[in-house]
Amino acid sequence: MTAQILFDFFVFPGIVFTAVLGLLAGWVDRKVSARFQYRVGPPLFQNFNDVFKLLGKETILVKTGNRWLFIAAPLAGFAVLSLAATSVGTALFFGRAAGMDLIVLMYLLMFYSVLIVLGGASPGNVFSSLGAGREVKLLLADELPFILACLVPVVRSGYKLDFGAILAYQAGHGMLVASVSGAVAFVVALLAVQAKMALPPFHIPEAETELVAGPFIEYGGPLLAFWKLNQFMMLVVFPFLLILLFWGGFDLRGLGLLWGILKYLLILVLIIIIKNTNPRVRTDTAIAFFWKYLSPLALAAVVLAVLGV
Amino acid sequence: MDNPMVLVIALPLAVALLNLVLPPVLRKLLIVAGLVAGFVLVKGFFDAQPPDLSLLGAVVLSLDKLSLLALAFIHILSLIIFVFCLKGLDAATEKPFLVLYPLTVAFASGAVLCPNAFGFLVFWGLSGLALYGFALLGRGERAASTAKKTFIIVGGSDAFLILGLALAGPASGWSLAGGPVSLGQPAGVLAFVCLLIAAFAKAGGFPLHTWVPDFSRDAPVESAAFLPASLDKLLGIFLLTRMMTGAFDVGPFVRMAVVSLGTLTVIIGVMMAMVQHNGRRLLGYHAVSQVGYMIMGVASGSALAFAGGLFHLINNTLYKSGLFLALGSVEKRAGTNELDELGGLGRVMPLTFLTALVASLSISGIPPFNGFFSKWMIYQGLLEKASSLSKGYALWLLICLVLAVFGSALTLASFMKFLHAVFLGQRRERYAGVKEAPANQWLATGTLALLCVGFGLLAREIPLKIFVMPAAEEAGLAPAGSLGLYDPRLILLLFGLAFVLGLIVFGLTRKTRTDEVYIGGNVQSEEFRVAGTEFYREITEMRPFKGIYAQAEKKTFDIYELGSKATFGLSHLLQKAHGGLLQVYVLFILFGVLLFMVLAG
Repeated sequence: MTAQILFDFFVFPGIVFTAVLGLLAGWVDRKVSARFQYRVGPPLFQNFNDVFKLLGKETILVKTGNRWLFIAAPLAGFAVLSLAATSVGTALFFGRAAGMDLIVLMYLLMFYSVLIVLGGASPGNVFSSLGAGREVKLLLADELPFILACLVPVVRSGYKLDFGAILAYQAGHGMLVASVSGAVAFVVALLAVQAKMALPPFHIPEAETELVAGPFIEYGGPLLAFWKLNQFMMLVVFPFLLILLFWGGFDLRGLGLLWGILKYLLILVLIIIIKNTNPRVRTDTAIAFFWKYLSPLALAAVVLAVLGV
Repeated sequence: MDNPMVLVIALPLAVALLNLVLPPVLRKLLIVAGLVAGFVLVKGFFDAQPPDLSLLGAVVLSLDKLSLLALAFIHILSLIIFVFCLKGLDAATEKPFLVLYPLTVAFASGAVLCPNAFGFLVFWGLSGLALYGFALLGRGERAASTAKKTFIIVGGSDAFLILGLALAGPASGWSLAGGPVSLGQPAGVLAFVCLLIAAFAKAGGFPLHTWVPDFSRDAPVESAAFLPASLDKLLGIFLLTRMMTGAFDVGPFVRMAVVSLGTLTVIIGVMMAMVQHNGRRLLGYHAVSQVGYMIMGVASGSALAFAGGLFHLINNTLYKSGLFLALGSVEKRAGTNELDELGGLGRVMPLTFLTALVASLSISGIPPFNGFFSKWMIYQGLLEKASSLSKGYALWLLICLVLAVFGSALTLASFMKFLHAVFLGQRRERYAGVKEAPANQWLATGTLALLCVGFGLLAREIPLKIFVMPAAEEAGLAPAGSLGLYDPRLILLLFGLAFVLGLIVFGLTRKTRTDEVYIGGNVQSEEFRVAGTEFYREITEMRPFKGIYAQAEKKTFDIYELGSKATFGLSHLLQKAHGGLLQVYVLFILFGVLLFMVLAG
């Protein structure tokens, strides 16, 4: 039992698998983005090189800042994403629960945003403080439609919060994305996830032309490597979560594996396309977009789900 | 009179009376002794339940599992908060504070122990009076008007309590444990509404919450942690729980209506908290917002949500009093509680910051802290309830659920602002010499933070098993089966392992140096400082929130202001009518006679 959990957590589908796949997904992202701009793009292992290079660089701590929080935030962020990856992965691949259900996962993902805020606010840099503030606003913006969208699979699977029940429902009744409520909820969730990863057009906290790097401005060396790694790990956690909630799961056997990889690539490419075809939106525009347009849409999906459509 | 329940009330009462005449050095000592003795007595109740005490044929003191839960936390919190009060009380108001403190413990204990309508009313009213007393100890320029407002809302709600108890009395046998009173009759409905008003006013539920933020700002900070954050919540939710579990025969529509009021309380409280510039007012609005979760849990009718609601009540008292006290420590060192003025104090007050951080994460519902566990139970319960309801009700409940979960995100946002404004960001030069709070203060806040962590990790084994589940079982609302998949200790263990792994990687590869913050090549000066209070400007300036906030600023939604406007408006009309002209009075008499004749038929 314990060895199984530790293997799940450290190797597959936890830290090692998520980190490696995340770095490779990051390469896909960079390569596809480069093709969008008629560039060649980086070689396959560029992201690995970047992260390892950062591990050898210097860390600068701010004299008057809150040092322990500054150091702890990226490491805790790494731990949170490892947990999220393990819980989603074990449910998706093996049908096991890793001490979590959907609500726990949603709150853990919220905690990740908190860590960005705490890490960003700890050095006292004006840009990182502003970036931290924007990170919270972005969280507020995307959280409402995200909750509503996540509620659709919950309602459809008989008001159950555990991943197993959601997958079991889809195994019996087909993928949720094939139903009206599921399709609408998937689109909303995809856009919310884009914001949760702070990818364009929602890279509001980092906003390099305004805030240089936002919450990460004072980070360098190994700590920045962890933030970068976290960013890559999210490219695994969120698409897998969407596959779990809306695309019927991921079978590791036979053709199921190929089908699963295709689902993952489809979602990844959708994210990359949205990223590459939209300029950054203003904070108020993002909030209005999520609250005034996507939330009512997601609510309609919930109503449809209650009606069983 | 040898019943130990009498002692639980009489002991603090005696301490209060003695404190009127004792020299200053002995007052605190006596309170500590009294509180410890009370704590030991209450602990004894867990092993051997004391027999009911009757007087003139009526049961006047009785202890069931719900009152034991409330009583236990009245004593636990009183003791911890008093540790904070040992050093640092405002010298000018110390004596009345030290009289009111044990008095409040006595009255609150009496209210939860007395099932008899008359006795309950007396203790409830007296605890409201003690609250007014604390409000009067405030020293700001608005303290007097805040005290008046508190007295009018909380005291005014006592009038509803009297009416409610009188209307329900015949059917319930003049006992809170009697009933159930049917809501089929108008008298029953009226009684229910009246008692609901009393419970909401005490606990700070919408729309009777407006005294809480004002009291939190103007009264001594220790009393804000003691009453609106802890004891008044216990009392208000205690009454609501009694109403929902036995005192009234509550149907699904009424449950949904109360759950909706709970949801409104969550959202309105937190939306107001987000825009506050005063730390204590911000915490006060959160004290309101959190009640919403308890109301939702207790009123929904689901066993799991009910237990979750009671658990949230306990959890809220812990982290909310911890937050008030942590801010109190900051305020006593930095000299202000205005968020725009503070900032960057985490470095100089690390222990206080850590306790505030734990409490903030707990109130925001971050796993594995205690606030998450109770919210998670409530959400699961609401979902379970929705699955058993008709589609219309199910959708209604789901919307409440979504708003409650979203309320958590808003709470988180508000606390990020709070932490940033007080402890993070750039520190002002003038706070360079600020020192950590005295040991008694961080001991109190630290204990509360530890309890937040402990109750989160050992939720099933300690708080739920000892306090909550017995009360839920007694109310006939024991959750069936396991509580769900969430395993806080496993999560913490894995989190810890990954964190340590990260730390090892950082430790092996790090090359560190320290430097200043540079902006455009120059060392960042204080002019660049971002307080964080304006983090949510986009939201406050967005339609329709802009208009709503503007009206809220003008106190358009404040029931106290509305009430006073209505009262003054009415008296103004009456004033105008009394012009002193004889002819007008003759007309009044004629009109009255005519009206009487018409009504008399």
